[in-house]
Amino acid sequence: MKKIFIYVICEIASLTLAMTFLCNLCSAKGRINVVTSTEDLADLIKVVGGEKVNVVSLSKGSQDPHYVEPRPSMVILLKKADMVVRIGMDLDIWVDSLIAASRNSRIIYGAVGYVDTSVGLERLEIPTGKIDGSMGDIHIYGNPHYWLDPENAKVITKNVLNGLAKLSRGAPTYFENNRTEYLKKLEAKINALQEKLKPYKGTKIVTYHNSWPYFAKRFGLGIVGFVEPKPGIPPNPSHIAALIEKMKKEKVKIIVVEPYFSQKAPKTIASETGTKIVILLPSVDEKKGIKTFIDLFEYNINKLIDALKLQSAN
Amino acid sequence: MQKYLFAVVLLLSANLFAQDVMEKPTPLPGMRGVPSNIPDISVIGNFYGKVSEDKTDTERNRLTTKEVELALQGYIYPEMKESVVIAAHKHGEDVVFEICEGYVSFLKVIDNLSCSVGKIHVDFGKINKVHQHHRSYVDQPQVITNFFGDHGLVGEGANLSYLMPLPFFFQIDISAWRIPAHSHEAEESSVANLTDAEGNTIDKILVPGECENEFGLADEVYTTRYWFSFPSTEKSEIEFGLSGAKGRGSHYEHHKDKAEVFGADLTYKLWLTSYERIIFQNELLYLMREVPVGTLKRYGWYSFLNYRFNKYWDWGFRYD
Repeated sequence: MKKIFIYVICEIASLTLAMTFLCNLCSAKGRINVVTSTEDLADLIKVVGGEKVNVVSLSKGSQDPHYVEPRPSMVILLKKADMVVRIGMDLDIWVDSLIAASRNSRIIYGAVGYVDTSVGLERLEIPTGKIDGSMGDIHIYGNPHYWLDPENAKVITKNVLNGLAKLSRGAPTYFENNRTEYLKKLEAKINALQEKLKPYKGTKIVTYHNSWPYFAKRFGLGIVGFVEPKPGIPPNPSHIAALIEKMKKEKVKIIVVEPYFSQKAPKTIASETGTKIVILLPSVDEKKGIKTFIDLFEYNINKLIDALKLQSAN
Repeated sequence: MQKYLFAVVLLLSANLFAQDVMEKPTPLPGMRGVPSNIPDISVIGNFYGKVSEDKTDTERNRLTTKEVELALQGYIYPEMKESVVIAAHKHGEDVVFEICEGYVSFLKVIDNLSCSVGKIHVDFGKINKVHQHHRSYVDQPQVITNFFGDHGLVGEGANLSYLMPLPFFFQIDISAWRIPAHSHEAEESSVANLTDAEGNTIDKILVPGECENEFGLADEVYTTRYWFSFPSTEKSEIEFGLSGAKGRGSHYEHHKDKAEVFGADLTYKLWLTSYERIIFQNELLYLMREVPVGTLKRYGWYSFLNYRFNKYWDWGFRYD
């Protein structure tokens, strides 16, 4: 048994050395390897970094970004990264253990390759006073779903630009031009979408989780309640009953639910109040055909308008 | 006076507005001890209820507080983190306080190499390192208890962990530990006179009897672990590990035993949706224990299947 064990170890060691040699031979040079926590950030880095970056996202758009389970394969992605880009504000807190496990000093907190895109952001819903578990899964630095306001792409890309400029050693013009060009395109799209949603400005909605305050603020929607009684806490009958009363009183027409949440409680509420459930995507999701940050807002606004039209017709 | 009041109001407003803008990256857990640089603090309680027909079972039909842990974690230097876990365990009716873990981690010593020094749950197999309250079951797999004792393999020493520069995950851990031996009086009935290879007569416990359940490694213990992982599909991952440990038995003064433990583990994880997840985990341990009368060979294993069906709940079963 002991001999077999030693033999296996020797085999592994020799295989490892051979693989290391091959990997070093094959590794691509020249591009900046960027790892992001979400697909939204990955798309924004692609537009700023262009052909000078390789981008990979640790989570998929179909996943709840609060609850991504770290995997060993993610450690390897971070090990090879020159830059890590994250949402911050405790949304993607699962990234911390992965960075530590990667032992990559280029991307640790405070390093040149560490980019938290929330820096410079005007935050919403910063809790004040004592914060504890009785408030649910509350984020102490404020609501972290800021990428759902497309205007915040300015802050996100500014942080990305700063990171890329430092890594590219004083050649930021390429990235700056990409960013400026993209922000113009995005601005035009935001204006068009706002115009499209103008007839429905002030529409009252209920959302499952408190993910949409930035989105609602940008597009003039009013959030009057949540299916979750407190962030991250599953709905209970008394809360649902109170919410139904409130929705009837406030004449709420829409319940916004992310695709990964259960539709059981929203369906109960919808049947009692005559509201419509709208599945909006909180992230770029290539598998659903939502390949870019702009696609994401186009998709969500169109879904919302379709639902509101249907409600008006009824 | 009005001018000063106006200036104060203006300053306060500026201050309030400034708070709404994120001025620096979100501090990591362990970096939040503002203003007095205190570490992150958490308390975890582990309570369980047992329904049983066995009237000799002292925990029968009772709710028991198994342990309460106080954890303190924080950075003490860039890339240097401390972690202290103080636990109150219940042993029968008594409550015993102990430092469950207390160590410093050097997150990067040299490229790809990290190091931890202190009292640590040893990285042997998949489950030994995991604290009880993080496991998906209320008890410890039988093989861990039988080979390493009630608290698993916990040592005071150092661990070097090297992440191989490969396109897939392969981590090697090598550690040296000092583990205190158990001390208790041997029962007369289980002690016998033996003659060793050189003709000397020595008192030994031949069949450890009740001590069998308290077996563990002690004194100078050396461990190693080789841990591989491959994403088998976009939604699944396979982990494979080999572990080894070498040391004396925890009752060496009586048994004069040396032991080697080898382990192999295989885990398959499949994420069906954002919350739905299946884990199939298997661990096999093989013990070779050299006692004066020969070599005892034992093996044990467990297999664990778990299904998390939503964000909050999962169920599964384990076979030991």
